[in-house]
Amino acid sequence: MLFAELIYALTGIGLFVLGLRGTLLRRSLLGRILAINICGAGVFLTLIAIAYRGPGLSPDPLPHALVLTGIVVAVSATALALALGRRLRESEDE
Amino acid sequence: MSSLPVWPVLLPLSAALLAVLWPRRSAWIGMSASLATLLAVMLLVSQLIDQGPLTHAIGGWQPGLGIALRADSLAAALLLMSSLVALGVGWYATGYFSSIGRQAQFWPLWLLLLAALHAMFLSADLFNLYVTLELLGLSAVALAALGGGRAAVEAALRYLTVGLLGSMAFLAGVALIYARYGTLDMLALAQAIEPEPAAWTALALMSAGLLVKSALFPLHFWLPPAHANAPAPVSAALSALVVKAAVYLMLRLWLDLFAPALNPAASWLLGLLGAAAVLWGSWNALRAQRLKLLAAYSTVAQLGYLFMFFPLLMAQPAGAARDAAFGALVLMALTHGFAKSALFLAAGMIQQRAGHDRIEDLGGTARALPVTTFTLALAGVALIGLPPSGAFLAKWQLLSSAFALGQWLWIPVVAIGSLMAAAYMFRVLGYAFGPGDAVRHPLADGREEIPALLLALVATAILGLGGALVWELVAPGALQLEAS
Amino acid sequence: MMATQLWQITDLLLALLALGLGWAAVSSRDLKRSVVFFIAFGLLLAIIWARLRAPDLALAEAAIGAGLSGALLLSALRDEGETAGVDDIQRGPIAALLSLLSIGLAAALAWVLVYTLGIADPVRMADEIAAQISNSGVTNPVTAVLLNFRAYDTLLELAVLLAAVLGILALGPARPAYRAAGPLLDGLIRWLVPLLVLTAGYLLWAGAHAPGGAFQAGAMLAAAAVMLRLGGHPGAGLPGPPLQRLLLTAGIAAFALVGIALMAAGHALLQYPAGWSGVLILLIETAATLAIATTLAMAYIGGRPVGWGPEAPTTKTVHNEERN
Repeated sequence: MLFAELIYALTGIGLFVLGLRGTLLRRSLLGRILAINICGAGVFLTLIAIAYRGPGLSPDPLPHALVLTGIVVAVSATALALALGRRLRESEDE
Repeated sequence: MSSLPVWPVLLPLSAALLAVLWPRRSAWIGMSASLATLLAVMLLVSQLIDQGPLTHAIGGWQPGLGIALRADSLAAALLLMSSLVALGVGWYATGYFSSIGRQAQFWPLWLLLLAALHAMFLSADLFNLYVTLELLGLSAVALAALGGGRAAVEAALRYLTVGLLGSMAFLAGVALIYARYGTLDMLALAQAIEPEPAAWTALALMSAGLLVKSALFPLHFWLPPAHANAPAPVSAALSALVVKAAVYLMLRLWLDLFAPALNPAASWLLGLLGAAAVLWGSWNALRAQRLKLLAAYSTVAQLGYLFMFFPLLMAQPAGAARDAAFGALVLMALTHGFAKSALFLAAGMIQQRAGHDRIEDLGGTARALPVTTFTLALAGVALIGLPPSGAFLAKWQLLSSAFALGQWLWIPVVAIGSLMAAAYMFRVLGYAFGPGDAVRHPLADGREEIPALLLALVATAILGLGGALVWELVAPGALQLEAS
Repeated sequence: MMATQLWQITDLLLALLALGLGWAAVSSRDLKRSVVFFIAFGLLLAIIWARLRAPDLALAEAAIGAGLSGALLLSALRDEGETAGVDDIQRGPIAALLSLLSIGLAAALAWVLVYTLGIADPVRMADEIAAQISNSGVTNPVTAVLLNFRAYDTLLELAVLLAAVLGILALGPARPAYRAAGPLLDGLIRWLVPLLVLTAGYLLWAGAHAPGGAFQAGAMLAAAAVMLRLGGHPGAGLPGPPLQRLLLTAGIAAFALVGIALMAAGHALLQYPAGWSGVLILLIETAATLAIATTLAMAYIGGRPVGWGPEAPTTKTVHNEERN
């Protein structure tokens, strides 16, 4: 196991748990959305870390594709959540 | 290799595009697509009966490198349920939404939801399942918010947040599986998974995510507001189909993919939570003031029954007895799908005509809307589990298995749950048949009530009387991953 | 040896920085500060992807993860106006218990991961993809996976984008526009937008053999649209609504048409015939780029543009549904 793989995979776990805890503890929608994104970034980091095979070998491209998909899904969900939040705020002002 | 598994996904997906391009024709496009999808599903089922499980390797690549679609009997049963329910609810929706603008917003999202469901039932790749989960979640949230009112948007937002957390947990599990076994193909994984920390942790993560999405007690808090405040056709789909998808995935993971790695005792947690869900959900349904809220809590309870099957299934080796219990589980899920959608459609009908859905003020409904009230009664029969509904057979089998295996705990829970279901359904019917003048706007077109009635009839009569057929279709061939 | 140790120190620093920025973004009580930390986190993540030899991801993360997400979040902050600001993070015994449980969870996951990495085969799918890549029609392995081997995932992912934007459009009209930019910003935009379009075109073309592809190119175009909107063009450079509908559906449509045509010719779904893979992939990627760009731009605009289509009643005039 490579040092880089280990270090980034553990960081990924840390971010995953940080994001998880943040989503449950933050009160505002924006804060929760940030936390969910950090949570996702943690999973992505772990995936790319295990795909890394050192400076000599080219990395495993499958997790790269998976994470690319994941990034796009995350931004879609973020956009929808923010739009819902805006609608909620507007209906409060009505 | 069969090309049929592609169509249940491709048809609704393409139709969604057409509905975006021609918004004024969206209802027409939607209904045609639902019909075409049903036909494709029926063709698939008949080929399945002939040839056994169907696979389709997308791109022609070896599964693992590429993604495979796989239709076994469990997938087929769920595909049939979802296409039939979607057809019925879609028919209702053409009459429910008053403006073309609202129709144009509804249909593309509805078709994407259907495509997501079918993609999930047919997928044999773990990451692909994650993507279908996300598509399902986002389209469900967007549909749930369509009413636009404050309560609906708030509930949809909570649904989204909670759902995303669940997806993250699921993805973390998928990542762990890939890290350990180096493949995402479910057939290959079924052979490879062993009892070890990676498998247990991955299953725990994925299950945590799925339990949130299937609203199992105590993670059910998001469901009642979301289902109660969405437009009636959306509520029907959410309760009947969307939560079932998560239960389906739990089944696939626990009984199929991770079966070699699991100790049957672990499933007792699911059973106990299921029992709690039955009691808690039924109790809250009894206390509900609004019909749609009652229906939503009833969903929480009914899903509890499904989870109570898990310890029964896992305590037996593969064989006739387990097949019977599995068939009962599927029958229960199917019956609930049809019955709950009928209930929500009937509730929607009443809400439109009476202007509200407060149960205690529904007097006179039976007189003004006899067909709808009859639908309510039929749906109630199926939800309580009275003969001849499919749920009766399913609960009977549940009790038999519990008795045979000595798992006594479930028996009183089923009994109490069914009694409470009877109580809350009869309460509604009591008010509906009572005196009063709830329904202000008389029914212009009696045909609007037909879809709900048909759905309820399937739940109560067809699935009950044809229960044996469903049994035979589903039980033996269902869990194929291990066998192949 | 020196080089290895330097790398190790770099990795350690990057990892700690990532944790620090993540912590800051999640724990900062001031929402504005949280968002800024989050954008910085996204850029740091892009650097980490580059370090881990994932240049495609680095491009996508910088453009989408930091750039577009950041733009969306800043827009949301702007909407909140004066009410934005201090966010209360829950304190108290439940929060403390949750923090304790999180530490436990992190420790358990870390243990499982280290143990698993020790016994797992590190090759996984890498060799198989390398073996098949000459049959894929492209030489960039990530593009091969996304547009050929696992094209079905990409198809569904485009559907996810569509579902999100349809949901956003159904919620209400677009956000109010910004006022027209002053000469300096306007001049900058006049330079940057064509450059962004050119870069997008390059990334789309290069994606077959170098880092790049439909998602990165689409994100560049969306960035151009965001710039235009920030400069005072409410339409963000997008064409009128009928064409917008076409663009939104273009990506999935390309996949579906190619897929169905191939099935009619007797192949499996999306099984490109030998020799045609490169062309078909480019075709699908072009359509997908336009679709992704339009979707992200419309998501940023935040709602229905004028003339979008048959109007749905607003909440107040929705009849037949009673709010409780």
